[in-house]
Amino acid sequence: MGMITNLMAQQTIWQLPEGSRVLFATLIVAGAFVLILGLIPVLQTLPPRGRRAIIVTVTFLAGLFFAAEFFLPVNWTAFFPQDDPTRNFLTPAIQPAQNVLQIIGALALGLGTFGLVRLHLRNAVQKRPQWGYSIVLLVSFVVMATLSILNTLAEKEIVERGPVLERAFSILFDYTLVQLDAAMFSLIAFYIFSAAYRAFRIRSVEASILMFTAMLVMIGVVPLGAFISYTLLGLPEAGAPEGANFLTQLEHNIGLPKIANWVLTQLNAPAQRAIEFGVGIGGLAMAIRLWLSLERGVT
Amino acid sequence: MQARTQTLWQRMLGIDRRWLYLILFVNIVTFLVAPIRMPASISPPVQKFYDEIEKLQPGDLVMISSNWSASTLAENQPQLEAVITHLMRKQARFTIISIEAQSRDISYRLAERVTKEKGYQYGEQWAHFGFVPNLTVAIKGMVTDLPGTIKQDVRGTEVSKLPVVQGVKSLSDYKMIIDVTPSGTVPIWISYSPKNVRILYCPTSVMAAEAYTYLDSGQIKGMITGAKGAQEYEQLLTVVGLGTRFMNAISFSHVLIIVFILLGNFAMFMNRLQQRREE
Amino acid sequence: MSYQHAQDNWFAAILIAFIALAVLVNILRARMGAQLYIRRIPGLDAIDEAIGRSTELGRPVTMIPGLTAFGVVAVQALTIFKYITKQIARFATPMRLLSADPTVFAVAQEAIADAYNEAGRPDLYDPDNVRFLSDRQFAFASGVAGLIQRERVAASFMFGEFYAESLIFAETGNMVGAIQIAGTVSFTQVPFFVAACDYTIIGDEFYATSAYLSREPVLLGSLVGQDIAKLLFALTTVGGVVAATIAGTDAPIIKLLGQPGGWEAFWNSVLGGGGQ
Repeated sequence: MGMITNLMAQQTIWQLPEGSRVLFATLIVAGAFVLILGLIPVLQTLPPRGRRAIIVTVTFLAGLFFAAEFFLPVNWTAFFPQDDPTRNFLTPAIQPAQNVLQIIGALALGLGTFGLVRLHLRNAVQKRPQWGYSIVLLVSFVVMATLSILNTLAEKEIVERGPVLERAFSILFDYTLVQLDAAMFSLIAFYIFSAAYRAFRIRSVEASILMFTAMLVMIGVVPLGAFISYTLLGLPEAGAPEGANFLTQLEHNIGLPKIANWVLTQLNAPAQRAIEFGVGIGGLAMAIRLWLSLERGVT
Repeated sequence: MQARTQTLWQRMLGIDRRWLYLILFVNIVTFLVAPIRMPASISPPVQKFYDEIEKLQPGDLVMISSNWSASTLAENQPQLEAVITHLMRKQARFTIISIEAQSRDISYRLAERVTKEKGYQYGEQWAHFGFVPNLTVAIKGMVTDLPGTIKQDVRGTEVSKLPVVQGVKSLSDYKMIIDVTPSGTVPIWISYSPKNVRILYCPTSVMAAEAYTYLDSGQIKGMITGAKGAQEYEQLLTVVGLGTRFMNAISFSHVLIIVFILLGNFAMFMNRLQQRREE
Repeated sequence: MSYQHAQDNWFAAILIAFIALAVLVNILRARMGAQLYIRRIPGLDAIDEAIGRSTELGRPVTMIPGLTAFGVVAVQALTIFKYITKQIARFATPMRLLSADPTVFAVAQEAIADAYNEAGRPDLYDPDNVRFLSDRQFAFASGVAGLIQRERVAASFMFGEFYAESLIFAETGNMVGAIQIAGTVSFTQVPFFVAACDYTIIGDEFYATSAYLSREPVLLGSLVGQDIAKLLFALTTVGGVVAATIAGTDAPIIKLLGQPGGWEAFWNSVLGGGGQ
């Protein structure tokens, strides 16, 4: 009865005193292990239809939790005066649920890393083509992982941070990894150049519009566009005065920066808004299909 | 059978892309070192950004979400430096949060350097909350209980003991959120942060295209777009920072791209004309 | 106040419910035998052409789900890749699926194995062809670019969420002469794909892909439901523009729809004659 009263007053196991929380958490983790170990043989003996029924049910319940937490009313102070009016009884469980998802993601990282190392070990051992690169990967992986772990332990003062560790980690992280990241990103500038040279051709009406708009925006957004419009051509930079005639308004708004801004806010933004609506609705429809197990793609 | 000799136009159309890369490289290096400075025309989003920060009063609290790493340093670093400089001028307090370890280290070191130059004290006037692995969960948590969600700052001090956030219970106690990021995290801030807190955005140029809708609807109050936006903002602050220095190279590389686009089209037309004549 | 629950923003809650209803009703209609039309999407028609080219050249096909974290977009991308794999299995064309997310990698392994089983060629499945490269953006980009260059892929399919690395993939594929089909919900990367790829699938065409390829009634019905919801959005926009033009932006009906807050705010607005 006390448990129910606590729940109704929005106290859940996440808010129990420290000692009870550790006990409950231990029981939950142990229970989860037992459940999984017991479930695997049961699932394997079930026929495919039975397995599917369990998967559909679990998927539905998992999705129902998040949907219910969003749609259930939050303000129950009329019935429970000491209640928090900004959440319902499911809200405190959202953060732990997200934490569980992150832990599953972390486990998957181990799986992915195992697959990568296994592949390259096999390449190296069997001397498959380009096995030298596999050796480089494996050595880099081991060295970087070792130094990173030692560095983290040193930050927590579990091991001593010697000058060798500090220097080695700095060389690998600051002077290698970070710089390689920046170098890969800067490749994009060169690739844009070759892609633009190849793609922006007057082949059709649409391609021409694309090309001219791109050129206008490219020159309008940089200081050179302002220099050309306001210094070289002498166009006024300030906005047109109130009640100005059409020609004056045109003169005040024909600068390259203003045209570029117009393209970005009056053409790009509405088109992007429309696409985002479609994507949002598509995502919602897909999520509903997954939740109700109507999607027969991957599953 | 002899291979047909390529005409000039055909050679231009099929130019080895490595020549293009070399030309661009020379262009960028030349204009990075050339002592040319062109003033920028202040765009409306940057002006709005500046005006919003100008409205801050001394002691107002600002949350900076800094999620960039070395790859977008050229665009995000000048933005963050200029933002911190402006906040210090307004004597605002600020806290920084990141969503990954590299961004945490980079933003912490940058903030330490910039604040030291201006005499801002860590813990008293600014702090770094380290990194949070899941931004959505962190924002939802900070809305209800900020000290309980963040717990410790980057130096290991309990957040509840930091003078800069003394008495702060929730994200609602902040006046402003500034998101400096190359990834699209601003919709998450817009969705989950309290509506009384103004949001400003500092994306890279590529990500800015999708933010104009939020600017238009008033969900973000101002925006600095990439290095160009940083240059405009530095101009408003009357400082010469990295944004101003980088824009030269960016300006003339845009010109180079346009020149080559025009050359490519010219070559295409001339090639077609030649082929028709030969027919 | 922040929008964390339906009660915080009644308008959004009603919209979500309407969209869900539109989708479910049309799924029911499709199941009951209604004939539903879907227009041609050239990029998807070219998938078979791309696979055929790879088979002729004897060079592999790459499938890249981008930096997609596991979720709706990843599931859609894997559905498309599963279809492509079934086509590939008929011709025994080599393939590589390169993932940046370990969860997507784990699910992709199962999906690709299933695809080969369903195509009747489980012998062709090699787990080493589904690879997790790195969860770091540019480490992944360099791994993919390197593989595309070394193996001189003939066809590259990029479906999912992409960021700055999209142009690296597309341009590298272009360098080796691969036929490239890209589909993404990342609006900012569309120009790069349009410039460097042969076919690009934009926005919600990405979500229509599974319906287009499989022609399953449930998926077609869902697509029709989405279109009805989009029509509602368009009508709301037009209605709002007309109302704002005639009555001004301070009109009660305009303010009502923009009224923040929960049900109390809504009822107060209606009974009190409009929003604040």
